[in-house]
Amino acid sequence: MTPLLRVQGVSKAFGGLVAVRDVSFTLAAGEVLGLIGPNGSGKTTLLNLVAGALAADDGTIRLVEEDVSRLPNHRRVRRRINRTFQLVRMLPSLTVRENVLAGALFGADPEPRRRAGARVDALLAELGLAAQAHALPEQITYIDQKRVELARALATGPRVLLLDEWLSGLNDSELVQGMALVRGLAGRNLGIVLVEHVMTAVRALCGRVLVMNVGECIAEGPPDAVLRDPEVVRAYLGSARA
Amino acid sequence: MTGALRTALTGLGVAGAVAGLALLPMALSNYGISLLISILSYWVLTTAWTMFSGPTRYVSLATSAFFGVGAYLVAWLVKGMPLQAIFALAAVAGLALALLVGLSTLRVSGMYFVIFTFGLSELIRELATWWEINQTKTLGRYVFVDFSGTLLYEHLLALAVLAVAVGWAVQRSRLGLALRVIGDDEDVARQVGINVAAVKVAVFALSAVFMTVTGAVMAPRYSYINPNIVFNPVVSFQVVIMALLGGVHRQWGPILGVVPVILLSEFLSLRFPYYYTILLGLTFLAIVYFVPQGLAGLLERAWAMWRVRTAGAAGSRVTP
Repeated sequence: MTPLLRVQGVSKAFGGLVAVRDVSFTLAAGEVLGLIGPNGSGKTTLLNLVAGALAADDGTIRLVEEDVSRLPNHRRVRRRINRTFQLVRMLPSLTVRENVLAGALFGADPEPRRRAGARVDALLAELGLAAQAHALPEQITYIDQKRVELARALATGPRVLLLDEWLSGLNDSELVQGMALVRGLAGRNLGIVLVEHVMTAVRALCGRVLVMNVGECIAEGPPDAVLRDPEVVRAYLGSARA
Repeated sequence: MTGALRTALTGLGVAGAVAGLALLPMALSNYGISLLISILSYWVLTTAWTMFSGPTRYVSLATSAFFGVGAYLVAWLVKGMPLQAIFALAAVAGLALALLVGLSTLRVSGMYFVIFTFGLSELIRELATWWEINQTKTLGRYVFVDFSGTLLYEHLLALAVLAVAVGWAVQRSRLGLALRVIGDDEDVARQVGINVAAVKVAVFALSAVFMTVTGAVMAPRYSYINPNIVFNPVVSFQVVIMALLGGVHRQWGPILGVVPVILLSEFLSLRFPYYYTILLGLTFLAIVYFVPQGLAGLLERAWAMWRVRTAGAAGSRVTP
């Protein structure tokens, strides 16, 4: 069966620094793929390459059959690839509802304003943001801003969703809610790439993880096995024989 | 008041105001008409500028380039073509130039965009000067055409009404939301599926069409035209100042900025002909410092405070 997303041999260098080197992976619909690795290992760059915020120097990215490697960012959104940002990016002069409405109006399913509005209100209710709909981003909590960003990404109608540390910074009960939400999205057949440092979440949500170190993929497999891999332990803890 | 009634009343009010403005020249002296012409021409320019630069926050100093191209087209073609045909041609020329500028500035933003647009206007002025001196061997051209002050005023009024209507429609449309998203964060704009480049170039071009046609309509006013007159960078600066003074987030913002600046320039240039630009500059510094949200923002805040106060007074009357 053709996977939902197939990334083959992508590389990206910034000047002399190779941020991502020859990375390949696949993602199935309904799967949550973990992407872990120490800071600076190239996880966010890899997400940027898949999302189209950066163009890969090499390699191909296919959504089902279609090669989207050369498509700019906004056209990949319309092909149903979307992401959240590691550091929350709100549209500060727009209300919470307008932030999400932007996704609904310009994403993969552009609709007339009224229908888009109904979809936005449903999303806000689902993410527990109905009461804040008319607030400005600066007036709501950081966690709610994260919810708004997710709602905005979902409003564009993605099939592939790239979550860049979306669960980090949540307290215990929020984490439980957040994990249930991610599981629910996978249950609706979205393919999710989860860049995360919160290992409880990675173990609970991901059937498979990819480990990156210095731009390369150094291990791939079920979380428990991968996290025991000596090379992975070395990458995380340094060579001081942990 | 129901929504339909309110819309009908607003429509009636606008129609009445336009009719009043159209009849105004009959009651005015030549000086009054010429002052109104200044106000209207800057109203169109500032409204057009605000269409693009308001929501996106890209400060453009290319206004004088478009204005000058429009005026120059008239000076150049007036002997062989009817004026109205040149106005239409000016719209096309403005569109073409704006697309060229837009496409070449796609990757610049912030300060670089400001400088680029300024440099471009100066480049066009220098090119026009060079062309006139070296190729056509004339530095000035005369625009002798039968186009009275009242007629010019009527053309400008129509243009102003059209510019405000188009600006209003853009602001309320999907395009308007796209512009605001772009103004807030271009990366996020791309990430919600907005074709940032296309939206920016399209609206920049739309605003440039109004600027170019304004230049063309204003050309007969000058009677003598040379590149330094019609590509005068002061036009670009004044438009920015008027827009900031009036406020860029409301359709009625620009006119609030245009009227006082025109009147102030008139007053200062008559009263202090030698120090007028210095005084004007100081006034503008004060404006930016004390009225950062523009007069529109100031008025809205005052209105909101007044409503709260009257509501409070009404409330205190009913409670024992």
